[in-house]
Amino acid sequence: MQALAKSSSLLKSDGKLELKFEKRRGKTRLIDCYQQPPLKASRGLYIDGTDHCTLYLMESSGGLVAGDHNEFTVHLKPGSNVTLMPQSATKVYPAFNDQPSSQQVTINLDEDARLEWNREEVIPFEDARFNSATSVQMTSSSSLLWAEILYPGREKRGETFAFRECHTHFEVWIDDDCLVYDALRLNPAEQMLKQLGVLEQFNYIANVWIVSPSMDENMDHNLGEILIQTDKHKSGITKLEGKGMLVRWISNDLPLLKKEVDRISTFIRKHYWK
Amino acid sequence: MNKPNVDLSNHSNTGAINTDVLYLMHIHDSAFPIGSYTQSFGMETYIQSDQIRTKQDLLNYCHAYLFENLVYTDGIFVKEAYQLVEKDDWKQLIRLERICDASKNAVETREASRMMGKQFLQAILPVFEDEKLQTWKKYLDEGKIRGHFPIAYSIYTAQMKYDLYTTILTFLYSSTVSLVHNAVRAVPLGQKAGIEVIHQLIPKIAKAAEHVLDKSLQDLSNHAVGIEVASMQHRYLPSRLFIS
Repeated sequence: MQALAKSSSLLKSDGKLELKFEKRRGKTRLIDCYQQPPLKASRGLYIDGTDHCTLYLMESSGGLVAGDHNEFTVHLKPGSNVTLMPQSATKVYPAFNDQPSSQQVTINLDEDARLEWNREEVIPFEDARFNSATSVQMTSSSSLLWAEILYPGREKRGETFAFRECHTHFEVWIDDDCLVYDALRLNPAEQMLKQLGVLEQFNYIANVWIVSPSMDENMDHNLGEILIQTDKHKSGITKLEGKGMLVRWISNDLPLLKKEVDRISTFIRKHYWK
Repeated sequence: MNKPNVDLSNHSNTGAINTDVLYLMHIHDSAFPIGSYTQSFGMETYIQSDQIRTKQDLLNYCHAYLFENLVYTDGIFVKEAYQLVEKDDWKQLIRLERICDASKNAVETREASRMMGKQFLQAILPVFEDEKLQTWKKYLDEGKIRGHFPIAYSIYTAQMKYDLYTTILTFLYSSTVSLVHNAVRAVPLGQKAGIEVIHQLIPKIAKAAEHVLDKSLQDLSNHAVGIEVASMQHRYLPSRLFIS
């Protein structure tokens, strides 16, 4: 029994990625990067020819297997401007040994720093157990755009809500004040997910969280005009205390969902983050 | 099953216990001014899109609202707040209230919960001079808290010495029943249909209260996304009977 426990702990992977950015000589630079497999980061890319730095986040193992844990720690020093793009969706394999896989993202944004995380996608396979916690500590002058899509499983194989549990927790603190504290705990076997008011006939959940000092009164109205409502796809927009905005979707139309998440992100970049 | 402390059948209990029941009935009287008759918490969006049309639709909706929303959100706040009031832990109670506020994503639902809590404090304080409730009102006036109803309710029930199960049970009851009353007016349905729905819900409310007893802050979950999106869409409805 002991040997088994030992071997299972050896098999577990513990990915780590610690990134620190700073604005130096007019450009945001990656000044510190610690990577422990299977997590890895690309070089800093300057796609739009500005100070803005883009990085791809890579996961070389192909997904989380029972008990794996990935940890991301990101620190943006004052005035830095970064986009982080996970290269692929996080795939969570069945928890054969009962161990949940987990992911922890810890983000620190200093004054006037701006981070876009676009986008986090999670696919929990049949029998998967997944726990994720994302915590953002920022100041009233820093900005965040966080986009995410939660899949019901490998839908094309007819696998919807066949996972055992999928728990996500997302919180945002502006100095000492908690602005967002959003938890989703999906336990399909115990819950009436298909009922009116819960997830209904929809399989995908998506969010775009925007927290920024450059919000205005009409922002929800402007974003609302981008969104299409159909029988297979619906969304809502809400303001977060004048400091942020949430767009939340439930949908069965993945291509449209991805398109709208991109449209919202582009709109924010173009009109609010000039 | 846990049984409430108050035993109505036992006449040897002194009058004090029976008046306790009356105080509890009083604050749940639909005429008690906390404004629940003006809030639908997103339900009106479903009524207007014809997704709640019949007695059975309403029963199904309230069932989901109870087990997938209240049990994972306000029910947990009621329970956690009650325990913190008993421990006299103001620091954690204020933190809990912040979390309660930040966890309600849809602005209309967030404001409805604040408004009901404020109105509850305003209505109860002149007739119930309790030190803890007064402190809570002072925090509200100072802007330290937002006044959310589940927390204010638990301070009152803890101070009135109702037990935890009764506190959760009555909170779930009043939250669900006020939705039924509102649906009867808005769908519209007959009074008889409303009574039938409530009677079918009562055993479920007791079951839901037991679920809440097993939960803690870590179980908080906004997975009733449909209700949340409906609440976000509510303000864009062309005509509205309710504030939320």
